[in-house]
Amino acid sequence: MEREALQAAVCELDSAVRPLDENADRAAVIVEASALPAIIRRLRDEPEFAFAQLLDHVAVDWIDRGQFELIYQLYSFKHKHFLSVSVLVPREDPRVPTLCRVHPVAEWQEREVYDLFGVLYEDHPDLRRLFLEDDWIGFPLRKDYQDDFMLDRPR
Amino acid sequence: MGVVTDKLPGALEKVPGGNVLVTRFDEIINWARANSLWPLTFGTSCCAIEMLMATGGPRHDLARFGAEVARPSPRQADLLILAGTIVKRMAPRLRTLYEQMAEPRYVIATGACTISGGPFIYHSYTTVRGADEIIPVDVYVPGCPPRPEQLFHGLLTLQKMIKEGETIREPGVRRKPVISALPEGVTLEDIQGQMKELLVKENVVDVQHAVDKLKWPSGLNERSSGKSDANESGAGDGT
Ligand code: SF4
Repeated sequence: MEREALQAAVCELDSAVRPLDENADRAAVIVEASALPAIIRRLRDEPEFAFAQLLDHVAVDWIDRGQFELIYQLYSFKHKHFLSVSVLVPREDPRVPTLCRVHPVAEWQEREVYDLFGVLYEDHPDLRRLFLEDDWIGFPLRKDYQDDFMLDRPR
Repeated sequence: MGVVTDKLPGALEKVPGGNVLVTRFDEIINWARANSLWPLTFGTSCCAIEMLMATGGPRHDLARFGAEVARPSPRQADLLILAGTIVKRMAPRLRTLYEQMAEPRYVIATGACTISGGPFIYHSYTTVRGADEIIPVDVYVPGCPPRPEQLFHGLLTLQKMIKEGETIREPGVRRKPVISALPEGVTLEDIQGQMKELLVKENVVDVQHAVDKLKWPSGLNERSSGKSDANESGAGDGT
């Protein structure tokens, strides 16, 4: 499906889905956090979309807006089209339902985002650190992260 | 024998009835160590691909310097080539690898990252600022990434250090670590030219030159000149 057609068709699915037009190179939508697993499951199962693979999961720290943007990149082997699904969560209380039950690969991708941003995935079976030591304090990819080891560039 | 003494540290002494090669064990051992470095490659990021793998391949060919037997196990290696960013999580593993290597062991740190933290020195929560915070380094090869030729330059520097360094009477006494930067204004063509010259000089065995250089006892001299005539005519026939 073409980008605009795909985006419109995905937005038809549910009232919790809105189009995201800043992203010009692939179809992109914003989804309410609570509706996320159900919508991703429908995108996977409905033959019209057939998004069988969760390619990547990343987060962006919009510190000015006080939000984390969680981005899920989906790909369909059948139709060879991409979709980017965003979820906005507040920085103070970043909670989102896990996608482990829909795409098992999400388990490690979510552990990575938890490790570096501190986003809490509700109902995740094994939410531990992935890259950093288990006793690490803080989440280093948050924009306001500070520790004693970091050096500031001298001016 | 002339061929041997050109390459081995030592001297030929004439004694009645023949020649004796005189050398010192220290020098023989250091010579052997310098020419049979087995590197353990510790490649963690871009330097490993851009420089280390390139030097192992046929275009640049590390084998010419007696250091091609890259080992995946620290137990069989005596040179640790560090190529790439070292992060805090990796640091204890690097220390373990180093301690598993048998003495004598040498370390070459290549690239800005392993020397100082490089591009990641500021605002990084995890990059170790230099491999020498973890293990002692013998030769630093700067660059981001260094050219393969620069690694060769570093390797030759290390070979020189080994030949002049540590003796079996004073194990562990090394020369200070050195920075093996290419001099300014030197172009790639210069280095390649020099390397070619060096390789040709080192690897061509000039038998005639060796024979001429030796002062044979009078009886042998005739035989050798006769032999060299035969050689020349043989070569002439062949071409
Ligand atoms: S020095 Fe440069 S090329 Fe080498 S690992 Fe660091 S960033 Fe990569």
